[in-house]
Amino acid sequence: MTQRYLILEDGSAYAGKAFGSLATTTGELVANSTMNGYQEIISNQIYHNQIIVFTQTSIGNTGLAQNAYESVLPSAKGVIVREYENLATDHFKRISLDRYLKRHKIPGIYDVDTRQIRRHLQQKGNMMASIVDVADEHAFDQLHATVLTNQQVAQVATPKPYPNPDEGANVIVVDFGLKSGILRELSKRDCNVTVVPWSATSEAILDLDPDGVVLSTGPGAPGNLPESVLQMIREVQTQVPLLGIGLGHELFAMANGAKVDQLRVEHHGSNHPIREIITNEIFFSGQEQGYAVDSKSIDHAKLFITHIDLVNGTVQGLRHRDYPAFSVQFSPDGAPGPKDSVGLFDDFTEFMARRRDNNDDEY
Amino acid sequence: MTTNIKKLLLLGGGPTNIGHENELDAAAYERLTAIKKTGTQVIYVDDNPFSFASEEVQPADVYVQAVNFQNVVKIIEKEKPDAIMPKIGGLNAMQVAWQLEESDVLASHNIQLLGIRPIDLRKVLDNQQLREMLTETGEPIIASKIVADDDEAMDFVRDVGFPVIVKPLSASHDTSRFICNNTDELEDALEISFKRTYIKRVSIEQSIVGYKEIEMVAIRDENGNKLLISGLEDMDPIGIHSGDSIIFAPTQTLINQEYQALRTATFRIMDEINVTGTCHIQFAQSRTNANYYVTKVSPFFTRNALLAAKVTGYPLSYVSTLLEMGYALPEIKLPEKYSKYLPFMEPTMDHVVVRIPLWPFRDIPDVDQHLNTLMKSVGSTIGVGRTVEEAIMKAMHSSQFSPRDILPSVSKVNDDDVINQLIHPLASRILILMEALRRGFSIDELSELTKIDRFYFYKMNQLLRAQDFVINNPLSPTAVEVGHKYGFGDGMLAELWHVNISTIERMNRNAKQKVTFKEVEPSAGEFMEATNVFYSSYELENESRACPGKTALVIGRGGNQLGPNAAADYYTAQILNTTRKAGYQTIIMNTNPNAISLAPALSDKQYIEPIQLGNILNIVNLEKPDIIFLPGNRHYLSNKLREFADLNMVVLPPDQKVAKYKQKQATDAVDLFIDQDRILPITTISFYTKSHRTELRYINDYQQPMAHWQREENDLITEAISKIDTSQWQGLVQVLFYKDAAATYQFAGIRPIRITESAFLNKTTGVNWIDALVKKYLGILDIDQLASYYQPGIHKRYAMMEAVFPFKELQSNRTDGTSTQEVGSSLSFRKIDSSTI
Amino acid sequence: MGKIILDKMAMQRALTRITYEIVEKNKGVEDLVLIGIKTRGIFLANRIADRLQQLENVTIPVGELDITNYRDDIEHDSLSTDVKMSNNKIDFSVEGKRVILVDDVLYTGRTVRAALSAVMDLGRPKSINLAVLVDRGHRELPIRADFVGKNIPSSQKEKIKVYVSEIDDKDAVELIK
Repeated sequence: MTQRYLILEDGSAYAGKAFGSLATTTGELVANSTMNGYQEIISNQIYHNQIIVFTQTSIGNTGLAQNAYESVLPSAKGVIVREYENLATDHFKRISLDRYLKRHKIPGIYDVDTRQIRRHLQQKGNMMASIVDVADEHAFDQLHATVLTNQQVAQVATPKPYPNPDEGANVIVVDFGLKSGILRELSKRDCNVTVVPWSATSEAILDLDPDGVVLSTGPGAPGNLPESVLQMIREVQTQVPLLGIGLGHELFAMANGAKVDQLRVEHHGSNHPIREIITNEIFFSGQEQGYAVDSKSIDHAKLFITHIDLVNGTVQGLRHRDYPAFSVQFSPDGAPGPKDSVGLFDDFTEFMARRRDNNDDEY
Repeated sequence: MTTNIKKLLLLGGGPTNIGHENELDAAAYERLTAIKKTGTQVIYVDDNPFSFASEEVQPADVYVQAVNFQNVVKIIEKEKPDAIMPKIGGLNAMQVAWQLEESDVLASHNIQLLGIRPIDLRKVLDNQQLREMLTETGEPIIASKIVADDDEAMDFVRDVGFPVIVKPLSASHDTSRFICNNTDELEDALEISFKRTYIKRVSIEQSIVGYKEIEMVAIRDENGNKLLISGLEDMDPIGIHSGDSIIFAPTQTLINQEYQALRTATFRIMDEINVTGTCHIQFAQSRTNANYYVTKVSPFFTRNALLAAKVTGYPLSYVSTLLEMGYALPEIKLPEKYSKYLPFMEPTMDHVVVRIPLWPFRDIPDVDQHLNTLMKSVGSTIGVGRTVEEAIMKAMHSSQFSPRDILPSVSKVNDDDVINQLIHPLASRILILMEALRRGFSIDELSELTKIDRFYFYKMNQLLRAQDFVINNPLSPTAVEVGHKYGFGDGMLAELWHVNISTIERMNRNAKQKVTFKEVEPSAGEFMEATNVFYSSYELENESRACPGKTALVIGRGGNQLGPNAAADYYTAQILNTTRKAGYQTIIMNTNPNAISLAPALSDKQYIEPIQLGNILNIVNLEKPDIIFLPGNRHYLSNKLREFADLNMVVLPPDQKVAKYKQKQATDAVDLFIDQDRILPITTISFYTKSHRTELRYINDYQQPMAHWQREENDLITEAISKIDTSQWQGLVQVLFYKDAAATYQFAGIRPIRITESAFLNKTTGVNWIDALVKKYLGILDIDQLASYYQPGIHKRYAMMEAVFPFKELQSNRTDGTSTQEVGSSLSFRKIDSSTI
Repeated sequence: MGKIILDKMAMQRALTRITYEIVEKNKGVEDLVLIGIKTRGIFLANRIADRLQQLENVTIPVGELDITNYRDDIEHDSLSTDVKMSNNKIDFSVEGKRVILVDDVLYTGRTVRAALSAVMDLGRPKSINLAVLVDRGHRELPIRADFVGKNIPSSQKEKIKVYVSEIDDKDAVELIK
């Protein structure tokens, strides 16, 4: 077993054993406390330029299922775990985690005190880290000198539109680093989907005659994207039902005048209760966020706050007062995490159906 | 938090038995602390003499009676409660609640049923209604049909596919079941079955033998807010009762989609039956596709529901209580030490827990020892670790019968027996699986034979490799490191290498990784929770700091077997209570997830660690306790610990080896409390056995006071006191007598009062003698006060404690057993009829 | 036996959607009043009012309308307005208000027509909108709902049954063949 190191921006270093690729990488260190779904997590594009610490003790137990990838080309920078299994034992078995990570040049380290790292991050806040062969001064210098790109969306989103045909509502998905779970849920509702690049203009989108538009999840800070994206949202939301998820939610908020702040510690897990304000009920969902909408910046004449995180108080959902346009910070598709709120996709299809009915009436 | 429930009838769990240990009592204890906060008066019904919870209730409000319909109706008529809370009493109490509903008692007394509405309770208790409800909800259940001929049977099989189980209805003799994998087998089975049935009807159902068994434990409030406590995965497939299965938490071999589907199903069912508080739902999950079936819905407290709480550190009973009373999840407030977010945060684990059941076959060997759909285990033990291997190994430490910390194995079994036991598993299940691996069976082969997921064999293989390395490299620093990583305690390393444990301790000083303690808490490190529950692992960060001030370490008994275990747990809880009230920071170490002594509110700190020398010393080294209590008869451990002269250790009750017998039979006894030269008579006892035997080992039933106490008690007490030499006898002491044919009492011997009887005395005399005993050893007993407080000799009632044996559950014809075969006891009172005086 | 078309969760979502749409369409909640039609519409109206309370922190008045005496298939011409109104509980004026009529199922439209007459008898609202949990089609009158929880196309032979937990022990919409 090759010994390798996880070194942190604050000077701390953790020795462990290598698996997956032996690449040397640098990224932001985030801890994910979801108990299932390592495959979905690692393949989610929101982890672009990030090294993921799993608090679940063991990953790799079930190999990789054919139908559980969240992207084709994962872009995480590393995987840190207490225990790792190079297995493909489950009934969907095809590929082991080790093979997958090697294929995509993602390094892993196991046999480290992940609980300590998690607690450390919680106290110190977000920081950069590297996975290296030797934890020497040179490695730390390299780490400190690394500047990560702010063009994350451009690196992971599709450059060209592509269709995912079906016979239902015509949905345009704007790809900011789309997770497949969103497409899966739209497919289950028979939506005729066209995925378009993040830079698509409102004109280009509306020319596709959509019944609805989805703003996808994606990596990085929403502030890194140009104003033109917000302009697109402002125009589209007045025309057709709109659903924003994750980064899409943050952009929807910004398009309507709200501010988005970086969290001191990124939150990745599914253990926080989310309160739906209108019913006062709580539920759980996969949450993967480094940013949150500043609730004080919200113009209540424009937006409703529809959901909040009961633990850290962050805004988890918004809705426009004047249009069927709404957004959630969390991932209702349950890939991974609870599917308690998967009905939000039904709401979206119902809004699209209402719009079509009403249009019919006008003719 | 407010409630309009002023008086609440709480139904207890009754005597311990197979499938039911002290966990319901532990949960009741936690529950009572929650109810107290609401200011509601509790009426408690339970006849378990080893109930610790019942002592939390005003004595006048405790009914020591069996939880059954007749008794509860009488209590309702007398007490007129506003609400009844059956969930903590398990299935029995739920059935009583249903009888109350059916007979209109609830309506006529205007009593609210808490936890589930009557209309929904019926859906759960009536199998047909349950099937209808699940079908309507769209949840898959096992297909079954009653057929009258072969054609109907074939139609059914064409729908559901093989394998199926065929069973004749109203059969002439035993109801055999036939598993059919193909048409030939089906035809044969139908032929035999139609011959055997009187009513020309045969039941045919889809077989799910070999499916994975997955359990989900969740809570729900009146508004429909739901939270999943934990999933549990049975390593053994459907076909072995989940109570007899090795269980892993969190689930290990489900992919996210499967897990979330079961979670969603759990929530849908809970909504459908409008349950509030805890609900435990069991599923059969296919190994070859995403299909699952709902196999059991238990909207009440079960052993595994409480296991889910224990493994996550979530205060389930506390929260469930308040939800049942109508509070909403977001308004629940927990005791101070927990973070305010904890009640409504979904637990997430960063450790692995393995539960291994314990079976009673050593004490009751003449029964069918095969593990199948009938539950046979009487206890269990858990191992907690940061890896699966470590957790398995730690659970194995605790699950063996030998008190020594040896590496368990079954290397002497011959090859035929190994194969036989793979297919027809016995209690040594996990050892046989590992032995088969050692003998070269392939993982695929084993998985095929046993229907156990390959993942577990892979893990066992890792353990075997580690074992081999450790055995073959005695006293090497790398072997110590490997041993630690895989959950071998220092004690086991010492045993394997035939050295004294101090040798290993010396090696540890130079080791790279020292023992660390990690907290069992439900946020996986996100919050600095203070559950104060710890387990060991060899990692970087130690989270357990020595308790400040005076500390007492109490070493629990571990998993329940037969014998006085339930009583010992009660006894242990009393020790904790007394030491804590005496100003000590109390620390408990135990591995029994069902123990009342592990109840969070009873101690300042809990270690879930194997009760083995190495693990004890690790804790002692960290905590440096001022006093160590070792309850129960554990010669090996007490001798080993005595080698460490600087430990201030108290064994309670004192080792039974000091007992002096003139003869090994007795009919009556005098119980005494002795402090220095003061001798306080406690009471007289008459012994009974169901078969009227008088040998001491058969005595399981007790009556207080003795028969004919009116005439004979005073003399017998005087006689007993005269036998005592206070320089030899201290504390709780029993003087035994044998009443011969001539009705004279012959002195039979002196012994420390045993654990079960100590508990009995607490319940019958109104004085906490265990508390007095512990105070004596802490040097804070006020004997004069005790003497003035307690007046023996006035009797208005007889108290009876009768042993419960698991013979019926194990399908044995025995009726009478020895004290090592009892699984629990029941307590009852009988008024002394003045006319018989 | 019935087939569940909307379960508890879906039913709640439908009411939530309707609530948002009401605010959206009325540009707020000013002058809004809710009137539930006889049994189940009343409970649904109350639930919408609860949601508006949560969302906007305003208490929207909820009235209860029994249109039995307004049905055109019942002989009622002889009844006075007072008698027709006797079973209603509407303790607010509808004058100048934006009235949202709430019913469980929209079918032929006759119930709604009756409700419209009844509301008109009460005063002159600024507007009347209709919110229904289920629209099952087969209209006999030129009436359409402004807010629909779910369109459930159904044949005339089928029945749609709405259960509300306030009186039915569960929340569900079932299609009964």
